[in-house]
Amino acid sequence: MGALEIINFYLVPGLVVGSIYALGAVGITLVFAILRYAHLAHGDLATLGAFLGLGLVTALGISPYLALPAVMVLTAVVAVGIDRVFYDYLRERPKIVTVMASLGIALMVRAIVQVVWGVDSQTYTRGIVRPENWFGIRVRDRELITILAMIALVVALQLFLQRSKWGKAMRAMSDNPDLALLSGVDNGKVVTITWVIVGGLCAAAGLFLGLNFELKAMMGWSMLLPMFAAAILGGVGRVEGAVIGGLIVGVAEEMSTLFLPTEYKAATAFAILLLMLLVRPTGLLRGKVL
Amino acid sequence: MKPLLQMTDLHGGYGDANILHGVNLEVAPAEIVVIVGPNGAGKSTAMKAIFGLLKIRGGSVIVGGVDITGWEPNRIVEAGVCYVPQVDNVFREMTVHENLEMGAFLRSGDLSAAYDRVYGLFPDLKERRKALAGNLSGGQRQMVAMGRALMLEPKILLLDEPTAGLSPKYMEQIFQISRDVRDTGVAILLVEQHAKQALAFADRGYVLASGCNRHEGTGADLLADRDVADMFLGG
Repeated sequence: MGALEIINFYLVPGLVVGSIYALGAVGITLVFAILRYAHLAHGDLATLGAFLGLGLVTALGISPYLALPAVMVLTAVVAVGIDRVFYDYLRERPKIVTVMASLGIALMVRAIVQVVWGVDSQTYTRGIVRPENWFGIRVRDRELITILAMIALVVALQLFLQRSKWGKAMRAMSDNPDLALLSGVDNGKVVTITWVIVGGLCAAAGLFLGLNFELKAMMGWSMLLPMFAAAILGGVGRVEGAVIGGLIVGVAEEMSTLFLPTEYKAATAFAILLLMLLVRPTGLLRGKVL
Repeated sequence: MKPLLQMTDLHGGYGDANILHGVNLEVAPAEIVVIVGPNGAGKSTAMKAIFGLLKIRGGSVIVGGVDITGWEPNRIVEAGVCYVPQVDNVFREMTVHENLEMGAFLRSGDLSAAYDRVYGLFPDLKERRKALAGNLSGGQRQMVAMGRALMLEPKILLLDEPTAGLSPKYMEQIFQISRDVRDTGVAILLVEQHAKQALAFADRGYVLASGCNRHEGTGADLLADRDVADMFLGG
């Protein structure tokens, strides 16, 4: 097999799915850095975002790309609402209680999606899209947009975290919560901003997953393991690490089908997760939380 | 002079048991006051009590005429009291300059005068302003911690064992900087293990033992007191 085939059939799809994992993993890493628990409803929040997008696309007849900003806002509102009603209530309890509660939220969100949109697979647009040919490398528009949108969102997030007052407050809260409080940072506001960002990123991950594949109620849940693998691979608490981790897991999953039956694709993320926890549990870029 | 900070008959502790059994402290404006005493005397606890970091079961803390007993830490910061914990007192993953920015989190408007003041007190930090605080030496980290607290231009600065684990050279430097800070009109209350050196440099001192006041007076008087020397200072 030539280099072009490997690029076209394995590397490009791997980078696309990796970008989607990256969007999810960044959110997981943010929740871990600031709220200090594993958020198991992350995948199903992405599913909700994807289906909210479907709702807008069918109701208004707009393209999924135009729906993206609105879907990010809607999902952010839902995420903040979930935090206010459920997680906030458990803040003073051991973190494992919140982790279990997030599993319940995952089931609840998925059930709502199934009730509203049904259990069948759906798509944003019908018909087959032919890939564009760039010097022998074939990429579909939607694939290019997925990768570019991931980069744009992560760059925007990094600028927010590095430059803005509240972005710095988030980093301070992640770095040393007690000292952040002693500096007068309002913990509740940081938590709200975190959920706005995490909800938006979840929605983007879900929408791009639906765009490149299909929409179904289990789509987000089945993405949870690779997203966590990516966050741990990159170093929990590291935004750049989550992106690198997402891309590695995505490409590794696609590449694994060169040697293994495709049914084992999902096991690749699990293997990477296990290997990483054994060899370098702090992640590629030394995680700051664990 | 009317005291800036007044702690009266304070009782409190972390769990059910009290550690402080009626502590009285006073700090006048622009005064350096040191709390010394044997291990477990409740020195750091008395300081944390001011900041509402433990359960207060009796007594009061008054700052500038306002009763701040039991307030949330962020409101106490706004009242002009800044606290530098003994450990974990910097944001390790943030630069020196960002640490100072976080210190000024509650302030808005032009902060250049505040930065100039802090960098003037700590010229070492100005050179290393882009370095991550976690990569600095212990002494420099202590300076970042003090600088962060000073960004809010507090009326009183609380320092919990600022020289713990530092070399004598840095200890002298921290004391010297504390004097410089005092000369800009900020009162300082500090807890110290190095009792002799601290009493020699402070205006006044309190000796605590078992959560109660044992002695108080000017630093020189306490150093001359046979009782204090025998009990806490190891002769």
